[in-house]
Amino acid sequence: MAIAQAMCTSFKKELLEGVHNFKNSGGGTFKLALYAEGSGGKSSTTATLGATSTVFVTTGEVASSGTYTTGGGSLTRVDPTTSGTTGFTDFADLSFTTATITAMGALIYNSSASNKAVAVLDFTSNKTSTSGTFTIQFPTANASNAIIRIA
Amino acid sequence: MISVETGVTVQSVNVMTSDEGGLSTEQLTELAMDKVINVADSAPPAIKDQAEAFRSSIENVLRYYIELARREERATIAHRMAKAGQKEMADLVRRI
Repeated sequence: MAIAQAMCTSFKKELLEGVHNFKNSGGGTFKLALYAEGSGGKSSTTATLGATSTVFVTTGEVASSGTYTTGGGSLTRVDPTTSGTTGFTDFADLSFTTATITAMGALIYNSSASNKAVAVLDFTSNKTSTSGTFTIQFPTANASNAIIRIA
Repeated sequence: MISVETGVTVQSVNVMTSDEGGLSTEQLTELAMDKVINVADSAPPAIKDQAEAFRSSIENVLRYYIELARREERATIAHRMAKAGQKEMADLVRRI
């Protein structure tokens, strides 16, 4: 599979090195970029993303359209917290408007830390907006569902 | 040997798209409901029924007020346009 949902292995190491800061105040700038399969990316490229991704790449990224610009949109951080023995963090939902986009997945990366990759999201099927809104809704922020969890 | 086992995981996201305009009231309601209440399949039947009824009630209230908010926002925009002399544009917005 060209896009496979995963927490990037390099990110796990970087967590232990203190590379990433998800705090709402003073944290890094995390971005979400959209990717296509089947030569659907800009310049007819196809994305290959998964656990081995280490950094943001332009190959397979969708072209700029509407409010989506290449490189992706900035995510609004939510302070990390805990519930029981699980630590987790969250982002506010992200929308691109008046956009014509077909994407199969996304990459969350830290643009404050040399664009280091955080996680790959697989939409499992092509999601398309035509001169419309493309919204990514993050799951409920709790110990069982939050987007990024350390159990 | 002393070791601590832990897991770092990533959850799936929900993607909602629209064509020729923004998300509909139904889509916005669905997005909101995903954040408001989640009924577990494993919940005891009596509790599950109550939770589902509550969910449905909340969903109706949300849908109504989202629709109302959209209508009121359009009314404000149309009013501002008309006031600025853009009567045709104002009518266009009002008829959405």
